Amino acid sequence: MNLTSPASAVYWTLIALTITASPHLMAMPPWLGGLFLVMVAWRWLAASRSWSAPPTALRLFISLILLILVFVASGGHWSRRAATTLLCMMMAAKLMEMFQPRDLRLVAALCFFMMTAQFLFNERLVYLFYLGLGAWTATMALVSIQRLESTPLQQPDRPWQGKLIDQSRQAAGMLVLALPVAALLFVLFPRLAQPLWGLPQQSMDGRTGLSDELTAGSIANLFLDDRPAFRVEFPDGQPPPVDARYWRGPVLTELDGSTWRRSQFADASSPLPEARVGSEFEHRIQLEPHERRWLFALDHPRSGPEDSRLTTTRELLARNPITALTQYDAWSVNAPFGPQTLPASARAYYLALPEGRNPRTRDFANELRQSFPDDDAGLAAHVLEWFREEPFRYSLATAPLGRHNADEFLFDLRDGYCEYYASAFAILMRAANIPSRVVLGYMGGDWQEGGQYLLVRQSDAHAWTELWIDDAGWVRVDPTAAVSPERIDYGARGAIREPRHALDNEWLRNLRNRLDRAQHTWNRWILGFDAARQQRMLERLGLPRGTHTTLAVIMVIALALVTLALALLLWRRDRQPPRSAAERAWRMLLSRLGRRGMVKKPGETPREFAHRIQTDLAAGNNEFRQLAELYSRVHYGPPHAELAQDFIDTARRFKP
Amino acid sequence: MSEARAPTLAQDHFSALQNARAEVNRVIVDKPEVVDFAFTALLAGGHLLIEDLPGVGKTTLAHAMSITLGGNWQRVQFTNDMLPADIVGVSVFKRDDSSFEFRPGPVFANVVLADEINRATPRTQSALLEAMAEGQVTVDGQTHPLPQPFFVIATQNPLDLAGTYPLPDSQLDRFLLRTRIGYPSAAEERRLLTEPDRRTFLADMQPCLDPDTVLALIDQASRLHVSEPVLDYIQALIAATRSHAAIRVGLSPRAGLALIRTARAHAFLNQDSFCAPESVKTVFPGLAAHRLQVQPESGLGSQEIIDEILTSTAIP
Repeated sequence: MNLTSPASAVYWTLIALTITASPHLMAMPPWLGGLFLVMVAWRWLAASRSWSAPPTALRLFISLILLILVFVASGGHWSRRAATTLLCMMMAAKLMEMFQPRDLRLVAALCFFMMTAQFLFNERLVYLFYLGLGAWTATMALVSIQRLESTPLQQPDRPWQGKLIDQSRQAAGMLVLALPVAALLFVLFPRLAQPLWGLPQQSMDGRTGLSDELTAGSIANLFLDDRPAFRVEFPDGQPPPVDARYWRGPVLTELDGSTWRRSQFADASSPLPEARVGSEFEHRIQLEPHERRWLFALDHPRSGPEDSRLTTTRELLARNPITALTQYDAWSVNAPFGPQTLPASARAYYLALPEGRNPRTRDFANELRQSFPDDDAGLAAHVLEWFREEPFRYSLATAPLGRHNADEFLFDLRDGYCEYYASAFAILMRAANIPSRVVLGYMGGDWQEGGQYLLVRQSDAHAWTELWIDDAGWVRVDPTAAVSPERIDYGARGAIREPRHALDNEWLRNLRNRLDRAQHTWNRWILGFDAARQQRMLERLGLPRGTHTTLAVIMVIALALVTLALALLLWRRDRQPPRSAAERAWRMLLSRLGRRGMVKKPGETPREFAHRIQTDLAAGNNEFRQLAELYSRVHYGPPHAELAQDFIDTARRFKP
Repeated sequence: MSEARAPTLAQDHFSALQNARAEVNRVIVDKPEVVDFAFTALLAGGHLLIEDLPGVGKTTLAHAMSITLGGNWQRVQFTNDMLPADIVGVSVFKRDDSSFEFRPGPVFANVVLADEINRATPRTQSALLEAMAEGQVTVDGQTHPLPQPFFVIATQNPLDLAGTYPLPDSQLDRFLLRTRIGYPSAAEERRLLTEPDRRTFLADMQPCLDPDTVLALIDQASRLHVSEPVLDYIQALIAATRSHAAIRVGLSPRAGLALIRTARAHAFLNQDSFCAPESVKTVFPGLAAHRLQVQPESGLGSQEIIDEILTSTAIP
């Protein structure tokens, strides 16, 4: 395979197509992705063996088959994924008639569109590398197509012209030229306050997050998942103390058999609590998409962003499921809401237990009730003490529990993850006539010193309980804290020492934190650059605050200016291409020295330059003068291939 | 040294040239670049114009050059009553066989020192300049070739303008190089004052070369390799003189040819096996300054303009 031969235009187009289509391929069914690759491989073979295009009837037939397969794969359900799958397969079909430069150019240009399509699904930082690689290969393809077309005009006295390195440099250079324009478009392109594709969609590609049910193992499974759940910044740059880092999510109030569920009516909003107790925390959260409507916030949330609401159980809910990275401000208070009354109906609701289950727990609750006839708080404290004294263990064990789940756990198993404790404790409390509910959310988070933000991962998922104590209201009680204080102080990963998977070690964790900081910066400055920030930036620049039309006019003017500047730059830089490999090596040497402040003046000969910078180079470094002498002989003397190669090698090794 | 000069004969010629150069440098103190210019003009087959005040060593230089070259030499002191025949020679009627006999003038020599050339009338000047250009002299319809090599060193006093006829711009072109000598440095001047008269040095000098060797050297120098980048550079320099705002008339194509020839000669003299851009840069001022016509209103001297061109023209 020769990547500079005439067939190289086809090769490069196929490389670009495969790279730009790769994320789409990974998201489609494997057999369909495989089919795409087969088409690419066939086209590659056709290029290397100089096969001709298949007959029109066959092409039509295969295209039709592909169309049907896409329909089958999508299950008739029209979605963004189905659309990009169709795009990929039709590109594969296009390969069958890609035998003219015109078609090659079309495919190469569509590669850019393929990359844009990927950003409908994911805008994470890693895709910047995908974008760079894809744009470069697609440009390489366009450059080789251009060369293919201008082959007869190629000048024979420039033998280096076909070299791969020059081609790649040309492609990279073109992309670099496009960067200022891209930056300008990013900053000035009129932004919509609402996302363009606001439809609720499966954007997590089958990944799981926190659910609104609690069964055995539903949180322990998340323990293995180190993906970020959300990141939090604090206005004063200081995170709350470790034992206050409870991030409230869904609140489960109904026990259905052995599964805790959220109430169907929980979405009703409630008026803000009037009394402000304790101190208020303001924080800004960047929430990764999780397909649900919860906006996590520090316990207890008091108010959230504009279009969110607080439910009766103090959940912060967004209007629509979170399908894209979302940033919002929230305010929380660090004390339970002020004393309220619990209506009798609500009290009954929070005491409801399924009939005929957990007899031992009920007996134990009655015993406790007799010891603490009127003291709910004392009873709860006694149970926590009991947890501490009895041989309870905090671990990842996820034994399935039977019909009497609380009985089995409290008296037999005594080994489990937070969901076991929260569930069993809430059942015990209800049996003891104390209204209780289970709260899901996250506990803890890693403070990222470098980025000044708190990173909360899926593995920080946690479950705790809330008890109704008269005169105090809903009080948070975390039974896991009683069993394993380390869970609170060091997080779940600190409390359970056993390695979670093969790649779980210190070094990788550090690397991951580092990468997350980069991702955080990206989220904050690139993805977080929305319509409001755009307006603020323009105001700061003294530009008129205005409509999209004003913005568009500013953008067009700025683009024209940048294009003009680039054109001038190109015109100024329009110098002779190097005559030989030696001259290229010399120019590279000069640019290396130039970066260290040693710039050759135009009217200086190589020897004069070497003589002048002699003092700037390391002491006793005669090497560059010898190099300049050698170059003079190679460049100005009679042709001498060995000498030229000698110079190139020495120049490459030279360290200024 | 390149393989091209491997034959021992060429080697011998070359070392003879270096000896000659050393000899002249021994007489003309502290002015190696002027001596180089003189040898460069010689090797390029051209002529040298020295423009300077009296008493700085113009004549001594010319004399030393002529001795070391080994040929015969003539000195002509130009005056305003001189006629062309005083330069080129005259046909005399011979009574014995009733025929005309050509009496060659002082121009018939390998080295001619034309002192204070601007004192002669333009008519006389042009007689010499024609001889320099053609390498031959025509008297009464008869053509007489000049001896080879033929090397003219002319001097001109730039200050003493009363009763002089400065060479017209078009004629200056006949001189390949124009240079100044300038005063010696303090230390060298002291040496000059304490050591015996320079003329005793001249008396001691031995010829190092002979006309045939010089011709061979000129031939060798003219075959020196000039690479594409250097040709590009020469073209860029010439183009710069033509497009410069302060220059009325830039360098002619003939000047371009002269520049290549001179640069080759300079590189050859300095033992380079090829023509490097340094040689072009060195000879360019001497070659271009007297050929350029500067816009008087620009307020710039030709030397300043040339320096500017040399610093701004990129070396490929």
